[in-house]
Amino acid sequence: MRWTLIAVPTLLIVFLLQSYLWVPSYEEQGENPERLNEFIEGSIGDAQILNPVLSADSASSGIESKVFEGLIDRDEDLRFRGRLATHWEIFEEAYFYVNNDAWIPTLGRGDAEGVIRFLRKAMETRKRRDDRVSRSLANIEKIEALPGRTFEVSKQEKGAGGESVAITIRVSAPPRIRMVLKEVDQELFDHLSELLGRDYFSSFDGARFIEVHPKGFSSNREAYGKELLPATAHNPVIVFHLRPNVKFHDGHIFDAYDVKFTYEAIMNRRNLSPRIADYEPVKAVEVLDPLTVRVVYKRLYSPALGTWGMGILPVHLLNSKALRQEAMHRGLDPDKFTLRQSQFNRRPLGCGPFRFREWKSDQYIVLDRFDDYWEGPPNYKRYTFRIVPDLLTQEMEFYAGTVDGYGVQPHQVERLSKDPAYQSFSGLSFGYTYIGYNMRREPFKDRRVRKALGMAIDVDKIITYVLYGQGEKITGPFLKQTDFYNHAIAPLPYDPEGALRLLAIAGWKKGPKGWLQKNGKRLQFTLITNQGNNLRKAILSIAQDSWRKIGIDVRTDVLEWAVFIQERVNKLDFDALILGWSMGIDPDLYQIWHSSQIHPNQLNFVAFRNEEADDLIIKIRQEYDHERQVQYCRRLHEIIAQEQPYTFLYVGKWTAILDKRIVIKEVDPEGKPRYSRIQPTKTGNYTFYFNKWIKLPEVPRFEMEG
Amino acid sequence: MLAFIGRSAIQKIVTLFFVSIISFLIVHLAPGEPSQIDPLNPKFTQEVLERFRKEFHLDKPLHIQYLYYYRDLLTGKSVSWKDNRPVLKKIYERFKNSLWLFILGTLITWTLSFPVGIHAAIRRGGLYDRSTTFLAYLLISIPGFFFAYMLIIFVVTHFHVPVIGMETFGISSTGWYWFMDRMWHLLLPSILGAAGGIAVLSRYVRNQMLEVESQDYVRTAKAKGLSPDKVHYKHALRNALLPFVTMFGLILPGLIGGSVIIESIFSWPGMGRMAYEAILARNYPVILAVNFISAILVLVGTFISDLLYMVVDPRIRL
Repeated sequence: MRWTLIAVPTLLIVFLLQSYLWVPSYEEQGENPERLNEFIEGSIGDAQILNPVLSADSASSGIESKVFEGLIDRDEDLRFRGRLATHWEIFEEAYFYVNNDAWIPTLGRGDAEGVIRFLRKAMETRKRRDDRVSRSLANIEKIEALPGRTFEVSKQEKGAGGESVAITIRVSAPPRIRMVLKEVDQELFDHLSELLGRDYFSSFDGARFIEVHPKGFSSNREAYGKELLPATAHNPVIVFHLRPNVKFHDGHIFDAYDVKFTYEAIMNRRNLSPRIADYEPVKAVEVLDPLTVRVVYKRLYSPALGTWGMGILPVHLLNSKALRQEAMHRGLDPDKFTLRQSQFNRRPLGCGPFRFREWKSDQYIVLDRFDDYWEGPPNYKRYTFRIVPDLLTQEMEFYAGTVDGYGVQPHQVERLSKDPAYQSFSGLSFGYTYIGYNMRREPFKDRRVRKALGMAIDVDKIITYVLYGQGEKITGPFLKQTDFYNHAIAPLPYDPEGALRLLAIAGWKKGPKGWLQKNGKRLQFTLITNQGNNLRKAILSIAQDSWRKIGIDVRTDVLEWAVFIQERVNKLDFDALILGWSMGIDPDLYQIWHSSQIHPNQLNFVAFRNEEADDLIIKIRQEYDHERQVQYCRRLHEIIAQEQPYTFLYVGKWTAILDKRIVIKEVDPEGKPRYSRIQPTKTGNYTFYFNKWIKLPEVPRFEMEG
Repeated sequence: MLAFIGRSAIQKIVTLFFVSIISFLIVHLAPGEPSQIDPLNPKFTQEVLERFRKEFHLDKPLHIQYLYYYRDLLTGKSVSWKDNRPVLKKIYERFKNSLWLFILGTLITWTLSFPVGIHAAIRRGGLYDRSTTFLAYLLISIPGFFFAYMLIIFVVTHFHVPVIGMETFGISSTGWYWFMDRMWHLLLPSILGAAGGIAVLSRYVRNQMLEVESQDYVRTAKAKGLSPDKVHYKHALRNALLPFVTMFGLILPGLIGGSVIIESIFSWPGMGRMAYEAILARNYPVILAVNFISAILVLVGTFISDLLYMVVDPRIRL
């Protein structure tokens, strides 16, 4: 008995320990040729759903970008380049209703034909008064009249008792003028009104041409008139020419119907696509021929082109018939079955450089190289996305050789970047951290107070000590690596004395106890942030300390994320907060900065209001010309920096560490392989040439290094 | 006997019902709501959020939601909000992974605690007893994650072998190599998982033994001139084992609980990690299902331990 009690655990432990002898070490893994052909990426979280139409998390989109391919993407300089589309054209169709009541200078009242003749004449006449007007006219390629027409629309309206009543609206639309423009021109109608008369468009009253039945519901006639008969309309058009003979992973050829289907899958309300807002401005997606798609927009919306970087789904696997079959096969109700339930989301299929192989939840996702990839297959045979939820063990696995790349933390960068076995890359992230002030409340209504608060914080110290140097100052809401960012704006200086002077001008003076006060009221507020982000918590203490030093009574509070967002931010119940925005490349700032977005649950929660800024924000999202967009953005940046609705703190830097044995391999025309070192692009994207990467058995020597 | 089983079954079903209500309420009392989308991403409009709420029945009153969830759960139709996969299938997948850790951990705990505890009891007050007491308290008081990190760093920097996950990554070994590789990856987490258990259980064994050793019948056995081994391992140990038999039933719920910390650190795709991530994401169906199943296991466990007690101790009649 005694000996069994001792023998059993001893044998067990010995058996377990000897398993060590069978495990491959770092060196042995390096000798394994299979291992060199595989790239293993470590990630903290698992992907959620591998369908570009449905996913909203970064882990999923990382995998999707390898499995799926969009029509376009961005090149080294963040400009658009064709992928599934070889090239594209953007032009505009503009419409306006003929306004018979308006008095046209030098013409008088004019019908459709008259107006067209008048405009044609203006286009031919060279002696123009205004350069901008003549540019708009020269941009018109075609002009024609569309005859008036009558049609009926049915709507639901609330009756007197609150019940829903169906109403019919009979519209007898007047003739309309249609113009095809060579380029999108958001100022077209402003310029035309210089010829047709200032109020030619604004005096057009759509309500006159509609009848509402039953008569009792005519109160909304004005609104219906505006909705159904808008005086003017811009319809930008994008025509994509698709790449021929591109194959999906199952060999099926990609064509325009796949593009149309992808759009429809997003717009299908039953799919609950989080991307629906991006495509809402689309009026129609038309297939002109199997290799040409035409997208017409309801209104000017320049972020539109960027949305077509979205991965394209294969229609032949996901059309309603296929989904029905899948539902039947799995014994589910075919009427309730949507794309969201489909197994496709667990084993996706696209036309990207890697094809899906296996997904084990919370363990790994394995992709294989797609040999028929249109741009030529990647060098790596396999890409593995491995989930390691702990930061420290990620580093350990990296040392052990079972992770090739992972998101390195600032404090790890320090020790890893000096190690000769590794190469490191770093760049600015797409996002920034800020302190936002609720400008509905005192004392933040005063710009000088906001500016003083910003001047009292030493951002350089935050970057050095909190971020271990892994950050850069930022002065405004645009991505620092794009040309939208205005580099001419200097960051606020760290100047507590100056801050005090500024506060004194604003009326806040030191009181008997050393606190700043105005009219007997102490300068006091609460700064909040969310639980679970240690960087923000550290900034919270630093800001509190810096402000207290100059006599501001700051309280702080750290709240659980859900409470923070739902109870405080969404309900606009806060004084000041620390938060961050992640951003896309597109400079559209409508949701965060436009004054129409200051209501509860909207994103301009600091209530930033500025007329010129509003105007610029609209212009930016309507402008299709890059240079002009840049001009507007720089001006907007200037205004925001002046107004200081946020204290812009920093944009973080990411760093990536790779084994030095990973290099770029290219094959020259004679078939000889050429190796070169991985170089990040100008915007800092080091994975841009991922498809050309390969791991060598030994660290290569490059001639340039000497 | 039958009456006992029937009575206890009814009691347990009533308990289960209340547990289901309470766990449902607790999940809903926690601030925040589930969402497949980030509320601070400017791309998501309020309208999209609303439609998500509707899809998840979050716009309905609580009692209706309660009915929906448990109807789905009991009919096996419950679907995880995070990835739209059936909850039971997910749990089963994870359960298989946790099971190995659980079995090995339990094996180590139970086989190691007894010799350690018995020896300490026999040599009471000696150097061995004191050092195991010291070690036991050390193991109980050092936080598991710290211990885990130390061990991982030590193994990786000294032996250069991977220890994270269920197997070595990127190497497709087969047969015996594969099996041993798995064993190796099981070793550290199960030792860590067992460490606390050994510390507690060996203390418990020691105390039980001491108590029994001071009984009259043990003294009688010694007086009869039996060999010390026979006295300790036959007369004393058998009687000291009694309470442990009942403990066996109670380790059952550990099956589904898993260990959040150990599983996260070792990126072990087990139950504990899944439940934890579900809680963070407010993935109600998964949280409720795990809760419900563990409640069932607790009840079944107590039931089994009642029965076992009856079997090993004939004095007890229920």
